[in-house]
Amino acid sequence: AVLVLVHSPLPRLRALLQRCWGRLERGLWPGVFGGQSPPWGAALAVQGPALVPEGISGAEAPGLPGSVVWMAAPKHRRTIEVNRCRRRHPSKLIEIKRNIDVCPECGNLKQKHVLCGYCYAKVKEETRLIRMEIHKKEGGPFNAPTVETVVLYEGEKPTEKDEGKRIIERARKRPSWFVQN
Amino acid sequence: MRLSVAAAISHGRVYRRFGLSPRSRLDLLRNLVTALVRHERIETPWARADEMRGYAERLIDYAKRGDKDERAMRMADFWLTEKDLIHKLFKVLAPRFQPHSGSYTRLLQIPNRDGLDRAKMAVIELKGNALPPLVRPRRDSEKTLLNQLLKGYRQDAQRAAAP
Repeated sequence: AVLVLVHSPLPRLRALLQRCWGRLERGLWPGVFGGQSPPWGAALAVQGPALVPEGISGAEAPGLPGSVVWMAAPKHRRTIEVNRCRRRHPSKLIEIKRNIDVCPECGNLKQKHVLCGYCYAKVKEETRLIRMEIHKKEGGPFNAPTVETVVLYEGEKPTEKDEGKRIIERARKRPSWFVQN
Repeated sequence: MRLSVAAAISHGRVYRRFGLSPRSRLDLLRNLVTALVRHERIETPWARADEMRGYAERLIDYAKRGDKDERAMRMADFWLTEKDLIHKLFKVLAPRFQPHSGSYTRLLQIPNRDGLDRAKMAVIELKGNALPPLVRPRRDSEKTLLNQLLKGYRQDAQRAAAP
């Protein structure tokens, strides 16, 4: 007779091992040893955990389920030198712009390839007022005219180039930056 | 032999993606073209203005064929959702751009939008419109300091070379 102690932590594995061992003992598993008798003369009992094949060696805690997700975490503290190298790398610094100029009309700053914000705001406001006059003249929606349009300021008469054009009157002096053609 | 294109490579694609689908992209551009023909100057995100510019110029090329042309009328009917603008296109814009052979629009960048997105904005306008000009052409003047200094230098050089 052989004394067997199975200390496997997993009850199902333990039950399976006990069943297999029982079958081996009673000789009900003829294929294992190739027909001869099992070779245990002075077999020693083996501790349960050594019989466990591979995989989970030592549970985290008894009673915790086996499906725990392993997540990446930093192993060591990043030193301030390493941190400085990363934070101050040229690709992370703000690049200086060298394309800023002065607008020759108003003196505000502008980017070279962009319109001046102040001058554009002036033009936008004037177009808004002109469009209000157009709206008043047209009356309703979907009344786009089939002739060209010309904008005249106070005290201006239509020239012979403005024959047959729709005239939009603006009640103010002509601004210096809006040159009449 | 590679028979299919890998995802996230877009070498050589010229059309940008807008809106929810290709149909929605065309609707968006169509609205912008209609607005441009109506107001002759609009302010939109730069990418949309750039995309719309080609369609607007081709529409004017079609309009130059005259309104008796069947294809031109069908194009104008599709691209202009407000039907009174078809009259404006054939009667006002086509004669206006008859002497020009291309580039009927002007696209200029303006400062980024004021909202949270700080989008890159542009203003696109038809040339020859009645609105105030966006950019005044600067002619170099004789009276600037640099030109006066250069003139003086040239005169000194001539005086030194003459005798």
